[in-house]
Amino acid sequence: MNEAVNAVAEQPKVEEKKDRGEKIDFKMVTFVLAGKEYGIDIMNVKEIAHAGRFTYVPNAAPFVRGVYNLRGEIISIIDLRTMFHLPAERKDEGTLENLLILQIHEQVFGIIVDQIDKVVGINRSSIQPPHPIFGDINVKYIRGIVENLSKLYIILDVEKIFMPKAKEEKEDAYHHAVPARAAANPSVPTHVAPPDAADDDLELGFIREALAALRNFATSAINETWFRRRFDEWKEMRSGRDLQLKEGGEADLYLEGFYSPYTGELWGQEYIEAFEAILPAIEGASINVWNPGCGKGFETWSVACALKRKYPNGRIKIWANDSDLLNISMAPNMVFSFDAPPEYYAEFMVQGRNGWSFRQDIRDAIFFEFHDVLNTNSVPPSDLIVCRDMLSFLNPLDQKRVVLDFAEKLKKNGVAVVGANERLDLEGWVPAGTGIISAYAKA
Amino acid sequence: MRVEYINPFVESAFNVLKEVLQGDIKRGELYLKSTSMPVMGVAALVGLAGDVEGRVLFDMEKASALKIASAMNGEQLTAMDELVKATITELANMITAQAVTKLHELGFRFDLTPPAIFTGDNMEVSDQDVEALIVPMETPQGKIEINVAIRERG
Repeated sequence: MNEAVNAVAEQPKVEEKKDRGEKIDFKMVTFVLAGKEYGIDIMNVKEIAHAGRFTYVPNAAPFVRGVYNLRGEIISIIDLRTMFHLPAERKDEGTLENLLILQIHEQVFGIIVDQIDKVVGINRSSIQPPHPIFGDINVKYIRGIVENLSKLYIILDVEKIFMPKAKEEKEDAYHHAVPARAAANPSVPTHVAPPDAADDDLELGFIREALAALRNFATSAINETWFRRRFDEWKEMRSGRDLQLKEGGEADLYLEGFYSPYTGELWGQEYIEAFEAILPAIEGASINVWNPGCGKGFETWSVACALKRKYPNGRIKIWANDSDLLNISMAPNMVFSFDAPPEYYAEFMVQGRNGWSFRQDIRDAIFFEFHDVLNTNSVPPSDLIVCRDMLSFLNPLDQKRVVLDFAEKLKKNGVAVVGANERLDLEGWVPAGTGIISAYAKA
Repeated sequence: MRVEYINPFVESAFNVLKEVLQGDIKRGELYLKSTSMPVMGVAALVGLAGDVEGRVLFDMEKASALKIASAMNGEQLTAMDELVKATITELANMITAQAVTKLHELGFRFDLTPPAIFTGDNMEVSDQDVEALIVPMETPQGKIEINVAIRERG
């Protein structure tokens, strides 16, 4: 999507490069965590220390090693390796650890790292943005990456790691609860919540972020119920092993079971009949349907047949769109290779040379469009909106926008169908579904 | 934009450019855009009417426009004169007309408006109500961005 923007941005970059590298306007303290080089803005580092024998604090998050008396000031000590789920060697009792004493705003605390290296000066403009699949540490906590003397340093954003509140307040308005914050905030070493709950909240927070980074799955009020339920199942499945999602495959595994029935195939008899049952009584001869995120189009064809059955005399028009060009390109000319169509669809299909396809009047009822739901659209006021498992893959702010658009586009007696594990329990919507169909009407 | 419309535009842009420029033409990744966008310097616009409403915009840099016009006319053109403008207009017309012919064969009825050409610096197109498909084409003479916005009549 950003090609045009990149193309425009390319030119000035060339000139910038000339005076890059000479001017040092950013210094960072570098250190090693599990064999990799990291950096922290020197402005956040108060001093470097060696210390051990930290005073254990009961009921604190697992990465809080304890508290320490730094010349009369009591500071909490965080083990950065445990916090990021990196391997940490357990040293003998009494061995001194390498500590970076950080100061962020008013808070002073220490972090344990494997090895402290040196101070490196760079130019701010040489910091490259982090890549979403960066490895061991959540991309959200990475400020960027920089090369210096042929070494790559990952610059951590300590303000975001240790003071999430300040930077994230905006997001919070919609994003229900991000409880990871409470546990991750080291300024409360004497955390009183039961350790289990604190751990869970932390893990939930990490999983939320992993799903967003790896699969664009955004947790919000729309899927929170499912997300929590799935977490319990997940814990059982992993039985004590690491709960975090480290790569795409694991994220897919976590999302298994989220998708609505019959994703990527024609809807089965019981599902389509349940769907037919929740369709509203429509006055007037024309029925407009909006089907954003229709993917390969199976869902659209199923909906078209159900509508044809429910309103045999209605003039049905379905605006089906998806932003995946490859998927949607195949949708208009769908041909099936089965010997005989499923019973429900039989009357709507005809056999051609290459296999079975839908009757011309069904085809005429559907407009398949290459369209991004976040852009403006020309969909008319609709009697029905079918949008299964799409909202969850937008960021929370866009989800909100699209839901508002739904409310605007949906007629008074209309019904909006969302994914089986999605809920529109938001202001202005009332449930209108039954059992396996998650549907809502305007309040 | 309807899926059926996409291929005719992509194909005819490719065929026409290949024919008139006789060079190696590459198509970039298609994408959607709905915000206002800067015009590179020369923009030819063809309107569409009929079952649908919309427009096709051919956007390129001035240098590329000159090179393309030179290649099409078989002589070296160095200034943005009438001949260059007429040539770029004709190119836009050829591509759009061929796409519309293909769409006619598929049963879609479109009419074209005569092309218009805009030149200048720091221009921007913005039509808020419509989402455009961007087809970037790379030619030996430079980049052409074909910006297609078509919507069904409600």
